[in-house]
Amino acid sequence: MTTTWTAAALSQDVPAGTAAPGRLGDRDLAIWRSASGKIAAWADRCPHRGMRLSHGFVRGEALSCIYHGWRYGQTGQCIKIPAHPGLEPPDAIRVPAFAVAEASGVIWVADGAPATAPPAFEGFTGFRSLQVDAPASVVAEALGGKGDAIRAALGPTPAVALIQPLGPDRSGLHLLAPLSAAPEALDALSVAAEDLRRRAEAGQKGRAA
Amino acid sequence: MRHQWYPVGIAAKLPDSPAESLLLGERVHIGRAKGGGPQVTDAKGRALPVLTRFGHVWTTLGTPERDLFTIPEADQPGRRLVDVGTVRVRCSPLRAVENFLDIAHFPFVHTDILGAEPHTEVERYEVEIREDSDEVWATKVRFFQPQAAKSAGGGITTDYMYRVPAPTCSILYKTSPPRPGEWDVITLFVQPMTEELCQVWPWMALFDDASTMTDMIHFQQMIFVQDRSILENQIPAKLPLDPGLEIPTRADMTSIAYRRWLKRHGYTYGAQLVAA
Amino acid sequence: MSDFAAERFAISGDLGSPVFVPWVERHARRLGLAASISERSPTRMQVRIEGPAELVDAMEVGCLLGPIEVWVDDIAREPLNDRAANRTADA
Repeated sequence: MTTTWTAAALSQDVPAGTAAPGRLGDRDLAIWRSASGKIAAWADRCPHRGMRLSHGFVRGEALSCIYHGWRYGQTGQCIKIPAHPGLEPPDAIRVPAFAVAEASGVIWVADGAPATAPPAFEGFTGFRSLQVDAPASVVAEALGGKGDAIRAALGPTPAVALIQPLGPDRSGLHLLAPLSAAPEALDALSVAAEDLRRRAEAGQKGRAA
Repeated sequence: MRHQWYPVGIAAKLPDSPAESLLLGERVHIGRAKGGGPQVTDAKGRALPVLTRFGHVWTTLGTPERDLFTIPEADQPGRRLVDVGTVRVRCSPLRAVENFLDIAHFPFVHTDILGAEPHTEVERYEVEIREDSDEVWATKVRFFQPQAAKSAGGGITTDYMYRVPAPTCSILYKTSPPRPGEWDVITLFVQPMTEELCQVWPWMALFDDASTMTDMIHFQQMIFVQDRSILENQIPAKLPLDPGLEIPTRADMTSIAYRRWLKRHGYTYGAQLVAA
Repeated sequence: MSDFAAERFAISGDLGSPVFVPWVERHARRLGLAASISERSPTRMQVRIEGPAELVDAMEVGCLLGPIEVWVDDIAREPLNDRAANRTADA
């Protein structure tokens, strides 16, 4: 049980009215944002027949499963079963929901209730997420740092790198860029990030060989 | 499930040189015998039993106790027989059949074709395991459909019957739009490649004099590609025979009857025995 | 609005496994239904189920498949005409 925050996605990658897949430890998540902008992170599985809710559709303040249209409100409570339109679903039918918070353009998730708010990085905001086929420690090393939040200059641009373990040899890399960064600086950051990914993956292959 | 017949190809489109495929995890080759007829060999090069029916070549790795099932309605004169082709799906072969038996997904997966909101209600229908034929049947199934078939001009309430005569085969009978007194026959024959990979071979025997063959094939392929996005994203990948982590309702009666029948016969290739 | 129902399920089959009772109780909880088991043998079990009619149907559907250790032959349902059966779901 982790009660610390994990960076799971960037706010800009889950716009209002959409759902996207995410991870928390070894669990799959459906991260979605309502029409009014509220974010939620749930188990990525419809309790009815196991369809991934990250493939679902958002209408208003509810997420519906794409398979049979079972509809769930903000807290994960089932509010509509279309095959049985006269039925008011019981409280018992709900999708497990995780703690979720946004700061500096990052969507943070946790299992349980962390004692503190997720970290904010003054002057920075979410820029780009990448997946890297290398463990978190190798990605951190390639960034010249340690841990899961590293301040580093990538090319000419200062950045914050949040590293999310996605399994033994896969990581998510969520990059934050200065709010004031010019478009050219962001382009350079993108190029540097892809170079970093190549180096981390090459380093990983070298180790495995 | 070794002693069952499985589809492995379209009889009219057999490859000139043997094509490799998988059946129940074992390598097989499908091609032509010297006389031009179908030939299927196992990994050791031995010829497996073959038969041709419903436009498809069928084979088995074991010794089936029964002949392959028949579909008497398909022999009625005036029907057009359609080899739809094949779609490979990263899912349990049993999940592919279960999805085919489901009507409640029509408004959400086949939107504005086989179903549309607000017509989402699944009325009570009848389900039984017929003891004489040892088949699963669902009858008196009714659903409103905006475009039930290529031949349908507009929305109609369509009557359905579903039949499962073999663990990876299902037949649906639905109101024929041009001939409301007759049933169109649409089948889903599934080749179990592994427990989590299958090749589906839909086949149809329709009353439709207006549509071109290409149109009818494209219509059915479009429907199946829509289903594939569901089938490859269900958790767990195998079909649960314990619904303890699911919430089946009366609308899922056909699915439950199918799973009961699999459980009773021990047809568990592609099944998950405990709730997961 | 779904009607409220109180029914007795007479479940018959190969029910000897000890997992079945907790499975039935848990499945009822997952549907938000009240369930009380009144009689039990290796081949028969009686359960009183109360809740919205469509969820009582869903309880039957789930129990017909049940856990892998059990084979359910049949579920005979009988409405119970006591006071509970006259309540409505939103009462």
